[in-house]
Amino acid sequence: MNTDELVEMLKEKGLEVKIQSKMAGVKKKVERKSLWVDVERDRLKEIVGLLVENAEEFPHFCVASTSDIGDKVEINYHFTINFGYQLEEIQITFRVTIPKNDLWVPTLTDIVPATIFSERELREMTGIEIEGLPDKRHLFLTKDFPDGVYPWRRDETAPKDLNKLYEGWKE
Amino acid sequence: MKYEVPIGPIHPALKEPIMLRFSLEGEEIVDVDVIASQNHRGVEWIGMNRNNPVQSIYLAERICGICNFCHPACLVLAVEEIVDIEVPERAEYIRVIQSELERIHSHLLWAGVAAHELGFDTLLHYTWMIREKVMDILEVVNGNRVTKAIMMYGGVRRDIKEEHIPKIREMIEYYKKLFNKVAKLFLEDKTIKMRTREIGILRKEDALKLGTVGPTTRASGVKKDVRQDTPYFAYPDFDVEAMTPDIITGETIGDTYDRIVVRLLEVKQSVEIIESALDELPPGDIISEEKVAKILSRIKKAEGEAIGRHEAPRGEDIHYVKLKEGFESFYTWKVRAPTYSNIMSWKPMLMHHQIADIPIVAASIDPCLSCTNRVVVVKNGKERMLTGEDLHRLSIQKTRRLKK
Repeated sequence: MNTDELVEMLKEKGLEVKIQSKMAGVKKKVERKSLWVDVERDRLKEIVGLLVENAEEFPHFCVASTSDIGDKVEINYHFTINFGYQLEEIQITFRVTIPKNDLWVPTLTDIVPATIFSERELREMTGIEIEGLPDKRHLFLTKDFPDGVYPWRRDETAPKDLNKLYEGWKE
Repeated sequence: MKYEVPIGPIHPALKEPIMLRFSLEGEEIVDVDVIASQNHRGVEWIGMNRNNPVQSIYLAERICGICNFCHPACLVLAVEEIVDIEVPERAEYIRVIQSELERIHSHLLWAGVAAHELGFDTLLHYTWMIREKVMDILEVVNGNRVTKAIMMYGGVRRDIKEEHIPKIREMIEYYKKLFNKVAKLFLEDKTIKMRTREIGILRKEDALKLGTVGPTTRASGVKKDVRQDTPYFAYPDFDVEAMTPDIITGETIGDTYDRIVVRLLEVKQSVEIIESALDELPPGDIISEEKVAKILSRIKKAEGEAIGRHEAPRGEDIHYVKLKEGFESFYTWKVRAPTYSNIMSWKPMLMHHQIADIPIVAASIDPCLSCTNRVVVVKNGKERMLTGEDLHRLSIQKTRRLKK
């Protein structure tokens, strides 16, 4: 599946694909492309499943990143497919935007097992509830990190002074 | 009878404190749990709230001491894509040379650690002795062995001068001459073979599903290398190919031995890349905009998002950056180091092996942690401490046992 076929397949599903590119190389110029796709929360599993089914080899899940954009939170799931062939790899990002008063996404761990670390991270860093996540422990933050404080948020739940968060902190 | 053996969480030599909890039946490992939440430095938070984008380059450099070129490289790639900053040709070549120098020193460092974990300390000292050659070159070129502060938006901060080139060529010759000897020491040694062949196998299917990267995934037969798949900097000029163990051994098993093979091949590949980069090093500037304030104001006005990916010694490193107009710091900065993806593979690798295999298998993915200091054995509710030395001793005992 090359880039055009992937874009066509996603368009058939009613999704819009934004392509961003940048040139690289000195003597041999190549174009580095990345695809960005907005997906609704309810369709996330379906679309990622579609990628898993159609990619030649199991898609590589890189990481999930998230941004606090006012009254909404966006989550980007970064994938790559077609690796192993020179210049044929496709970087694709699925973006889900959810309102802060209904902050949850379905887990992808049942279709892409590698997402478990990122989903645990989303949960502790941005406070997004992951429906169906089998392991809900902290990943990077320590056990005694206070509840309701989310380091990647930009609202009142963001940590004010990181040092003072821990028990036993002295002036 | 099931025992639980936690390993970790902290050791003075580890850059990343991490804890592993093993469930054992006798000597056999039946379950592995990784507990990463031991120490959080909040690097991303600082980059998103306190630092300006130029300060964040130096912060990124301090994410990992060994990969101190890789993280700034990813960050710079992402920001250059958003702001559309040009990079001079010479700078692109210098970036390639820098990242390959880093790969050589990192893989040799790892090879030494692997030998040490097997109780083969002569080989550790030998590998680290030959590693000094590349460290000297790093010092000559950058003025520093680690945290080299070489990356900048729009180029690099230090040139490779005319007088450096003969020294780098001498290093290339040195490693070319040594390659066969080192390959023989690691690949033909009976003890190393016994301790690594068929130990810690990661099947191709698991490697793909768990999203592993770098030498770990390539040793399982996945031809994945960012330098080949989506080349950046001046990499398109070199036609890099992903190294898999079958190049030397003719087959891919995906065990610890194969991971040694891949890293040795990559050292050779890096030396060749540096050589051809020096041959074709274009003349000209090394940075497109020297005034930091100008770069900063351009970044402040920019809006957008991008991914920077770089093939670090341990595998694909990726940074996601989102910039917002008028916002001083990064609006979002997500760092994903290769070990993040690779530690999940410990479970399939370590299952049904013995405690004595933990050090070498754990080290075989080249995590940013390589030895274990304290082990608490919880037996019938009573705790007993095992130190890193005890674990190391167990590993050496196994080597001796196998030799008999």
